[in-house]
Amino acid sequence: MTAIPHAPVVQGPRRLSGLLRRQSMLLILIAFYILVALTGRGFLTPDNQLNILRTVAVPGMIAFGMTLVVIVGEIDLSVGSMVAVSACITAWMVQLLSRGAMEPSVLAVLGAMLISLGFAALVGFFNGLMRQKIGVPTFISSLAMMATLAGVANLITGGSPIESFPSWYYIIGSGRFLHIPVPVFLLAAAFAFTFILTNYTALGREIYAVGGNIEAARLSGINVWRTKTICLVITSVFAAIGGIVYSSLINSGNSTIARGLELEVISACIIGGVSLFGGKGSIWGAFIGVLFLGVLLNAMTLWGFNPYAQQVVKGALILGAVFVNFAIDGRSPR
Amino acid sequence: MDLHLEGLTRHYGAVRALHNFTHSFASGQVHALIGKNGSGKSTFIKMMAGATSPTSGRIRLGGRPVQFRSPQDALAEGVVTVYQELSLVPGLSVAENIFLGRLPRRGKWIDWTRLHDLAGALLEEMGATDIDPRQSVESLSVGRQQLVEIVKASSLSPKVLLLDEPTSALAAAEVERLFALIRRLKAKGVTILYISHRLAELPRIVDTVTTLRDGAFAGSLPMAEAGPREILGMMFGNLAPLDRPAHRAGGELLLEVQGLRIEPWLRDVSFRLCKGEVLGIAGMLGSGRTELLHGIFGARPIDAGRVLLDGRDITSYGLPGRKAEGLAYASEDRKHAGLVLDHSIHANLVTAPLRKIAKWGLTWLGLERPHAERQVAGLQIKVSDLMLPVNSLSGGNQQKVVVGNWLNSGPRVLLLDEPGRGVDVQAKRQIYQIIWDQAARGLSSIVVSTELEDLAECCDRVLVLRDGRIAAEFSGKGLDPKALYAATMMTSPETSAERSAP
Repeated sequence: MTAIPHAPVVQGPRRLSGLLRRQSMLLILIAFYILVALTGRGFLTPDNQLNILRTVAVPGMIAFGMTLVVIVGEIDLSVGSMVAVSACITAWMVQLLSRGAMEPSVLAVLGAMLISLGFAALVGFFNGLMRQKIGVPTFISSLAMMATLAGVANLITGGSPIESFPSWYYIIGSGRFLHIPVPVFLLAAAFAFTFILTNYTALGREIYAVGGNIEAARLSGINVWRTKTICLVITSVFAAIGGIVYSSLINSGNSTIARGLELEVISACIIGGVSLFGGKGSIWGAFIGVLFLGVLLNAMTLWGFNPYAQQVVKGALILGAVFVNFAIDGRSPR
Repeated sequence: MDLHLEGLTRHYGAVRALHNFTHSFASGQVHALIGKNGSGKSTFIKMMAGATSPTSGRIRLGGRPVQFRSPQDALAEGVVTVYQELSLVPGLSVAENIFLGRLPRRGKWIDWTRLHDLAGALLEEMGATDIDPRQSVESLSVGRQQLVEIVKASSLSPKVLLLDEPTSALAAAEVERLFALIRRLKAKGVTILYISHRLAELPRIVDTVTTLRDGAFAGSLPMAEAGPREILGMMFGNLAPLDRPAHRAGGELLLEVQGLRIEPWLRDVSFRLCKGEVLGIAGMLGSGRTELLHGIFGARPIDAGRVLLDGRDITSYGLPGRKAEGLAYASEDRKHAGLVLDHSIHANLVTAPLRKIAKWGLTWLGLERPHAERQVAGLQIKVSDLMLPVNSLSGGNQQKVVVGNWLNSGPRVLLLDEPGRGVDVQAKRQIYQIIWDQAARGLSSIVVSTELEDLAECCDRVLVLRDGRIAAEFSGKGLDPKALYAATMMTSPETSAERSAP
């Protein structure tokens, strides 16, 4: 019925602004890095640099998965609880499979890890299924999953940590290879995996298409629910790997670890310019976001910030990043 | 109060949406305002509702010039517009909707008793006694919602009432009630402008017929003198003969649809499509055109019927399966269902064929680029840089990207939903040329459109979809816009029996 041939809206050099946005975040990171290097005592030592990488390894890895989930137009708030529950499941399963032996076999540990990862994959799949069959937004369903998994973790441990790991188990979290902490290798592997996935696979292109316009993607013959579910499964499994790393770091299955980790992960994505509306973002951007968060936390410790003040700064940073994210997308935050 | 229009004009850039519209509408009468798509009707309605202001020209109400700078201005002058899409708030009650924004109050509180009394009185006055003012609007049928909408309009004591396609979503019995309501308002001396596509219902309700064509006044007649021939003559004028290239008959059967039923749009639709044929499907708003294409493409569930490709039943296939068999669908709604607007032109050109292009699931820009570039060259898409977002293109070029995306997937049947919507004449021609070129290579197309002239111009054969069935078929010399229009809009028995030689 429209009689008005509306003029095409030229959105200006969007690509340029996108490029500038990515570059600007990198520039801010570099500037901030130099500032901290000049003011923070001991910041530039190789040990501290590696320490930064090690502390961001787990949230970073999960952030790469979360980037996929956010690009495809969903969110997963349950990653923090997933880390805790996977640490507990791994410890519990080692205990069960080795029948409480003092030095559990390698096989028992590997089996426990596989069970833990399998559980995570199942949870991711379930989240996807809920989204498709019932249409519950993942914002809600993963919030419910967050509470559920935290409860499951507590049920498994009964409130006290399970200490069942063999003596070599510390290697996963605290070990070093060529002076580089093992978790950093895991971070690099997760980066490579998700980077190739987003840039060099048909599935990656489909993730962007589904997040950009789900109906157009569906009518292009893309199985949109499968695509979304795959992203949720990847993130869930990455969180479970993170849980294994943490369980190794503290050498036990503890249900209280990684509280609020989802906040850190999602803020890294937002700082890295991943659009909360879906369809836009990159693994490279998320990586910069992760590094920024790591450098900031490290700097605040070096500067001797009160831990509570650190929380406030972290929160304010997320608010600022969300604001920029909305502003760049040119949509009003409603 | 009489309504006079003096040289009403609205330009959008170089486009004349409405030009020099001068006419008088007498009060106490129902005036039909008709015209095909793009005739300037919608622009006129928007001006009367205060949603847009004229570039030049004047509106007079009972001799007094009025200006509508905003919808509030129009309402204050007593010009009330009831749009095609209902503007009621579903969760609120009938009474609340009628008095939305002016609920009666006692002090700070809403006076519910008075509200329901007032609404009840209004409903009774308009003969809608079976609607309870306390009822929530969402519990009413669309027809009753339409009645509530008009009761609401009448409660604003209008001098001029514009009804934009009020019957397009109504069942026959509901239409009768609506007409009764309109007659009551007419008896009160309201000037009623009745915009409709349904020519058959006009004699039952309107007093005069006024026609717009290509943004200009095209004639006005008392209803008594306006037969279908006169009306169509005013709407289409003298048509220039078409210059479509002669098409060879396809011959070989490719796609067959048998007894397709999709409630509530389609009851029983059957047709055949030959190889290399361009088949048009004409139907008015809400006739189920898009639903039909979605049903064939597997994009929505069907209630009954079969789809056969090469004589093989593909009804059980899902959308990806049918795509793999060579079906392709270019949506009418580029923005919401055709393109990812802020993704690159490149990405939008290779979305559908992605899995075909990729090697073992791996793909990269260089591998995809030849496919994108082939379509840019073949479809003459005007583009400086393939990596620019697709929304930097004009409507016509965006449409070409939608088509190019599918041509890249190597389809055998191309389903095109309103390929000419929101596209300028030049681009439209180019898109038809593309369809013909592809047809010459053996690709069959089904083109669905409300723009009947376009269908007549573009297609080898046109089926008319009406009341959930194929009501008529036109091809060869019998394929002309006026005949199509008559077959699409009329619901009288003699036209539905009309079938030109196949």
